[in-house]
Amino acid sequence: MSVQTLPTDVIAPRSRFWQKLRPWLLLLPAFALMTFLFVLPIGAFLEYSVYSYERGRLVEDFTFKTYLLFLTDPYYHAIIFDTLKMAAITSFVSLIIGYPLAYGLWRCRWPALQRWYGLIIFSPILVSVVVRSYGWSVLLSDQGAVNWTLMKLGAIREPLELVYNLTGVVISLCHVFLPLVVFPIFSSLVRIDPALREAAMDLGAGWWTTFRRVIFPQSLPGVVSALQISFTLALGALVTPAVLGGGRVLVLPLQVYRATSDINWPVASVGGLVLLVMALITVALCNRLLAYSES
Amino acid sequence: MTRNWPHIRHIALALFCAAGAIYIVAPLAIVVLNSFSSTAYNVFPPEGYSLRWYENLAQQGAFLGAAVRSVILATLATAIALVIGTLSAYALVKYRLRGRDIVKAFLMAPVVLPSIVLGVALFIFFVRVGIAYSYPGLLLTHVLVVTPFVIAITAAGFSNFDWSTEEAAMDLGAGPIRTFFRVVLPQIRAGVLTAGLFAWITSFDQVETTLFLVRPGDNTLPIEMFLYLQKWQDPTIAALSSLLILLAVAIVIVMSIAGRNRTPDGLVMQGKETSK
Repeated sequence: MSVQTLPTDVIAPRSRFWQKLRPWLLLLPAFALMTFLFVLPIGAFLEYSVYSYERGRLVEDFTFKTYLLFLTDPYYHAIIFDTLKMAAITSFVSLIIGYPLAYGLWRCRWPALQRWYGLIIFSPILVSVVVRSYGWSVLLSDQGAVNWTLMKLGAIREPLELVYNLTGVVISLCHVFLPLVVFPIFSSLVRIDPALREAAMDLGAGWWTTFRRVIFPQSLPGVVSALQISFTLALGALVTPAVLGGGRVLVLPLQVYRATSDINWPVASVGGLVLLVMALITVALCNRLLAYSES
Repeated sequence: MTRNWPHIRHIALALFCAAGAIYIVAPLAIVVLNSFSSTAYNVFPPEGYSLRWYENLAQQGAFLGAAVRSVILATLATAIALVIGTLSAYALVKYRLRGRDIVKAFLMAPVVLPSIVLGVALFIFFVRVGIAYSYPGLLLTHVLVVTPFVIAITAAGFSNFDWSTEEAAMDLGAGPIRTFFRVVLPQIRAGVLTAGLFAWITSFDQVETTLFLVRPGDNTLPIEMFLYLQKWQDPTIAALSSLLILLAVAIVIVMSIAGRNRTPDGLVMQGKETSK
């Protein structure tokens, strides 16, 4: 090492300048990409939020009309509320389903079963969201497999309305996010020292006490990142509400999509901004929770 | 209760996990089953079986064109993102940069942004500067979407990289480029391959970001499917989806075989390092 550091000390200043510049040169392509396809587009996007839209035409003035519309119009309040409700229910249900699956995967004693089960949980990531949403729309329809099974079992007489409403969207979204929820919880469970669990058991703690006092608190960082991933992705979900909502689940991303098609870019811009702010608040809250859960 | 029998809560957990597996596989299984249905409407169980939807799919030129476009786009985007992402990951891991955390957060920012917002922002920007519906715009958008993943995965791949081998190669007179391809790249190969695979799949699956950037008639495959589903729901889409599921299964099989061959190798390498 000492031989290594020697040349840099005797190298001329010009060369040291290049030495310092090298990492920034390596980062240059990424920065250029970010500037032209992220910073500038977001800037243009924000610019349109202060323009207005009148009689089907964009007017390039300066007004906070669209912001006021989102703040005062009950129609937009309902949409924002529905979007938050959908994201909250979806992430809650994904965690309720995902935690036991991650726990089961962690506690599995047979390595072959563990590997196959892990593969079953994670492989749906490889299949397009469009395909999975379509699968659920077939499965949950009035004449679909779920209603057929429930009717055969005698649980229901009339088919349940599972598609073209919030229920179908939530069931399908949970399926899409499940691998992304199981993975962080599983990886935080794996990091737990097995000796901790054994010590708790040896000291006479029952199964439930061990789980509640030892295992669960240690897995909280995984739970928080799972919550963050599912909530932010659910906020921005477009395909699943479009396919399974059948025009009846009006969430903000669909509203942004429609406004963009209608050239009502001020509404698209402010709507997108509201989405972004909600996502950033979620990330900030989860980071606070994460710091709290790790301490 | 005797000791040999598993406890009731283990049985409950196993049953829950089995139900979870059914929940995960069901929508994919129903798509494959539905693709062989003989009727145009969706009914369970299917009233008859046929291959007519596959025949119908073969006659739909739009889907084939879209599939070819998606494959080319994903491959080009992955190649460019691998170069940009590996350069950035290398710089971020190797050098103690001033404000490294800020640089990292900046480069990861596209992940936090809801995809639809990014898609609409890019569309508005491209219209503004007069390159709406252009291919470079579409390609670079896909590069932007996948680059954060490439940076994160390849940076993780550097974690047990032996930096002294790089110094040794340079001391022995190899130039920086030769050192990279002969010494550095072989060691981080697994991370780069994983990043490439992940980037390809992510690019192939883009809907929200790409929706407004493709010229009508030049759709990528997921968008062609999404727009088709908005109008019709016949099993043609099931036949196409079945082919995509088949592709996913093939990828899983290749990955598990590759993983099986690599794991002992990696373990041996790590064992050697720790024994030193």
